Amino acid sequence: MEHIRTPKVEQVRLLDRFSNKITNGTLYLTATHLIFVESSANNSTSILHHHIASMEKLSLTTSGCPLVIQCRNFRVVHFVVQRERDCHDIYSSLLHLLRPVSYEELYAFSYNPKQNDQQREEGWQLIDLGAEFERMGVPCDQWQLTDVNRDYKVCETYPRDLYVPITASKPIIVGSSKFRSKGRFPVLTYFYQEKKAAVCRCSQPLSGFSARCLEDESMLQAISKANHNSRFVYVMDTRPKLNALANRAAGKGYENEDNYSNIRFQFVGIENIHVMRTSLQKLLEVIGTRSLSMSDYLVGLESSGWLRHIKAIVDAAVFLVKAVTIEGASVLVHCSDGWDRTAQVCSLGVLLMDPYYRTIKGFMVLIEKDWISFGHKFAERCDQLDGDPKEVSPIFTQFLECVWQLTEQFPQAFEFSEWFLLQIHEHVHSCQYGNFLGNNERQREELQLRERTHSLWAFLMSEKQNYLNPFYSPAYSEMHPVLEPSTLPYHFKFWRNMYHQFDRSMHPRQSILKTILTLRENSRKAENTVQALESVTRCDPQCDTRAPCASSHQRTALQLQHHPVTSGLPHTGGTHQPQRSAAAGRGG
Amino acid sequence: SRSDRSAQAKPPSVMSSDSAEFSPELRVTQDVTYFCPFIGALRGTVMVTNYRLFFKCMDREPTFVLDLPLGVVSRVEKIGTASSRLDVSYGIVCKDMRNLRFAHKQMEDTLRKSIFEVLMKFAFPVSNGLQIFAFEYGQVFPENGWKVYDTVSEYKRQGIPNESWRITKVNDHYELCDTYPSTLAVPVNIPDEELKKVAAFRVKGRIPVLSWIHPETQATVTRCSQPMVGVNGKRSKEDEKYLQAIMDANAQSHKLFIFDARPSVNAAANKMKGGGYESEDAYQNAELVFLDIHNIHVMRESLRKLKDVIYPNIEDSHWLSNLESTHWLEHIKLILAGALRIADKVESGKTSVVVHCSDGWDRTTQLTSLAMLMLDGYYRTIRGFEVLLEKEWLSFGHRFQLRIGHGDKNHTDADRSPVFIQFIDCVWQLTRQFPAAFEFNEYFLVTILDHLYSCLFGTFLCNSEQQRLKEEIPKRTVSLWSYINSQMEEFTNPLYVNYSNHVLFPVVSLRHLELWVGYYIRWNPRMRPQEPVHQRYKELLAKRAELQKRVDELQREVTNRSASTSCERPGSPTRSITPVQTFV
Repeated sequence: MEHIRTPKVEQVRLLDRFSNKITNGTLYLTATHLIFVESSANNSTSILHHHIASMEKLSLTTSGCPLVIQCRNFRVVHFVVQRERDCHDIYSSLLHLLRPVSYEELYAFSYNPKQNDQQREEGWQLIDLGAEFERMGVPCDQWQLTDVNRDYKVCETYPRDLYVPITASKPIIVGSSKFRSKGRFPVLTYFYQEKKAAVCRCSQPLSGFSARCLEDESMLQAISKANHNSRFVYVMDTRPKLNALANRAAGKGYENEDNYSNIRFQFVGIENIHVMRTSLQKLLEVIGTRSLSMSDYLVGLESSGWLRHIKAIVDAAVFLVKAVTIEGASVLVHCSDGWDRTAQVCSLGVLLMDPYYRTIKGFMVLIEKDWISFGHKFAERCDQLDGDPKEVSPIFTQFLECVWQLTEQFPQAFEFSEWFLLQIHEHVHSCQYGNFLGNNERQREELQLRERTHSLWAFLMSEKQNYLNPFYSPAYSEMHPVLEPSTLPYHFKFWRNMYHQFDRSMHPRQSILKTILTLRENSRKAENTVQALESVTRCDPQCDTRAPCASSHQRTALQLQHHPVTSGLPHTGGTHQPQRSAAAGRGG
Repeated sequence: SRSDRSAQAKPPSVMSSDSAEFSPELRVTQDVTYFCPFIGALRGTVMVTNYRLFFKCMDREPTFVLDLPLGVVSRVEKIGTASSRLDVSYGIVCKDMRNLRFAHKQMEDTLRKSIFEVLMKFAFPVSNGLQIFAFEYGQVFPENGWKVYDTVSEYKRQGIPNESWRITKVNDHYELCDTYPSTLAVPVNIPDEELKKVAAFRVKGRIPVLSWIHPETQATVTRCSQPMVGVNGKRSKEDEKYLQAIMDANAQSHKLFIFDARPSVNAAANKMKGGGYESEDAYQNAELVFLDIHNIHVMRESLRKLKDVIYPNIEDSHWLSNLESTHWLEHIKLILAGALRIADKVESGKTSVVVHCSDGWDRTTQLTSLAMLMLDGYYRTIRGFEVLLEKEWLSFGHRFQLRIGHGDKNHTDADRSPVFIQFIDCVWQLTRQFPAAFEFNEYFLVTILDHLYSCLFGTFLCNSEQQRLKEEIPKRTVSLWSYINSQMEEFTNPLYVNYSNHVLFPVVSLRHLELWVGYYIRWNPRMRPQEPVHQRYKELLAKRAELQKRVDELQREVTNRSASTSCERPGSPTRSITPVQTFV
């Protein structure tokens, strides 16, 4: 609070970045938000401090002092503040506010959605990874739960509960972990029951030019033995070969096929976090240009490389899926540290092969498992605290985009719509909920997030209705449990609603999604009406005394009929409360 | 079994079963190889009739079938193969974005003529003095598509004649202008004699005539060809007076906009050939705007490049820059942007507009028809769209025969150009932005393009109304609209809501334009849609209709009962149907 110099500035103008629209209003600065209230309409724009990625004060113009704010959810706002002094105050206040140095300063620790402790706890219990492994059929005769990492001693960035082959003894695990970057040894992340094939993940081996580790070799042998359907294990190194070679000089590298019996080694060629960061910057530069020509757009889009990177990730996932579902082979996936590209490929791969992950609940489980628990460094990648800018990278955004590209190809296969993905993206950066804070499970426990913050999943679940995909067909998923996406380049499109989510002038004039949602809502109402009417006709002719009641039902039904449908209106049933609806009927 | 065609690409049953439509001259050849660029070499049998080439390969499960109307063939060429001198190999270049390659063993005496010769004969009937297949087709449909468009009733629908505009028969025998329709709508106060003087000043006599009139403001869209200004800046009093009359016919505005579709450089260059554009000195109160749309040669080259980029294979790494290098989307954008400016001037500016390019039958047609599609919801229905094509494209003499080259082997003809394809592409772009505003679906547009080439129907034959009349096209051929209107449900957009009074203003931003993959890349089996979402729309709508019916029934029942048991009656027995959407 002590950082806020000016809580309110009047006569501020908001410029649209693509049209010439100008809105006048007042700017308020609170401890958590920057709020712009339009003076003409009852409209306001509020920006969470954590969402602000960068700010720039442009040079003074005749109309005032321009302040451009770029947000992590790709909102770009351009304010013009009349007095330079006010602009400077806001700028310097924000500078302090948006660079928190400790986790306790994050919004999640002060956010209170008016829930009691029990509700909060229930929210955190929504996702249970133990139950998730049980759903896959683990533990089983070949895979078991190990307590080797109970105190985060073997690997501090892994979760406590890990699943390994039955034949992998403790010394093998410990030995293998010493031979892997950051101790991230091979563990199970998904078990494909139908073929008994496993998807495992780890970090790169510390092989250098010639080093070997017998325990690590036994570990891979154990993974191979756990699957009787295939004589070998695929080892997918998700890096470009050149990067992996370069790592050898630093005593790291990749598996030598000669040392490991029964492995098939494969490079996939996904670029590293730095390339991805630069690529996104280029993309945003291109699409942020006003009055862009068609050639600049297409050439710019391509030279940013963004869609090419997205395609590379999907390609890798497709490879993984084919190996597991068609060949029935187990696959071990790694990159350098095994928390960026590995998380992308594993999570996207299992999303393609297991319809459960394509439901709302399943998708939450997937993110909780492959991203949060396996230690994707959300704090550093999303720049939650004032940290090293070189560690920031849109790895998780890419994952969400890959999923979106798949929903475009398979509109019936996903329970959730684009809005669900956008909302998750929003909150990965908002720091409003505890789920994504910190870098790994151990850190989260130390921060006591379960006790001190709320879970995003409970919130999203409570408004599930808003995220349903009207095209979703469970029957389709039953018929096509494994999705086989095409990765031809024209299947990868620019995700307008992500990168232009807040640019109203970029939105389409009519949205099919909205149309279909309205249609569904109409059908649902008609169904209720049918039910109401049926109950009336059923209870009727015996006794005359019930007749008035019947007609009141009918009134309700008529009202429902006439009600213009806008969007997800809460359902007010006419069947169960004849008194109330009768009153409403007469009143209207 | 139809593995080399898009799931939605061909009419389902119109020509397959009925063998009467084939000429008896069939050729069946054993052991022909078709080199499918996606699957690989396939061995099978080929049959060529006077309408189609039919290749069948039984080795595959399901049976592979390639069914190609010969009308789509642009060129057939022999290819020398190094591998075996005994083999004959030839390639077929098609007008619909694909190329095919076949090979077979050298024919012995058993078959006198090679497939090549038969193809050359029947793919190019015009060059061989034969009849185009449409004249032999003769299928009977419940609907008669030739009745869809009637000039006078379409003008009547628009409220013409009225106090400012009249219908003239001056072109009844195509003497004023042989590429115009016989019935024209012109300003009331210009007598027929003066029209002839105006015609003398406009290229090919294509005088400004009415295409569309705004039902409320009386602002009009008129079309013509360029004025014959020439290097000396020639003027025509009659033409100036005529444009003034067009402006005066609209009391709302004291201005007239002249949209010249061409880039200003091209328009200026046309002065050397006796053409040019209206000078603002000569035409008081008129404002001239150039829309920068390129000519037919540029467009042809652009589509040729597009084909190179997408067929058969797409280079993964440079997809977008390759697409950019074709400039196809840029052309689409300019056409749509031009049409949007016209529609905006008429609707928002309440100002009349005159549209022309050089001859007024290519770019002008694109612009007026797209603007009319934005302005008038009638044209967004299936029948309305057919009327729009019949009127703006066919009756006003877009030269389909020359632009497409029906049955003509001269594939390098500089008159060929994908002007109409571009227009349909623009329509598709509009349907993407307004998914509920069009009664027809994507399949409708693809079907039109398929039969633009197929020569099964007479609709797109000839260059002008006069020629069509002379060839007795309506008498001797079947209309494409007969086929389409006999099974409308196939072509209906389930999301359609009749917003007849809404004007569509599309966003012509590049972020909203995309390549029409479902048409241009449909031969690639990997582009096939994974799921029929279309089907899902239909299901949802059917479910709603069913529920609505049930509600109606029950309500009637309840009304009857409550009438018999209680005197209280519902307020109103009439019940409005909930609209599908409440937003626009």
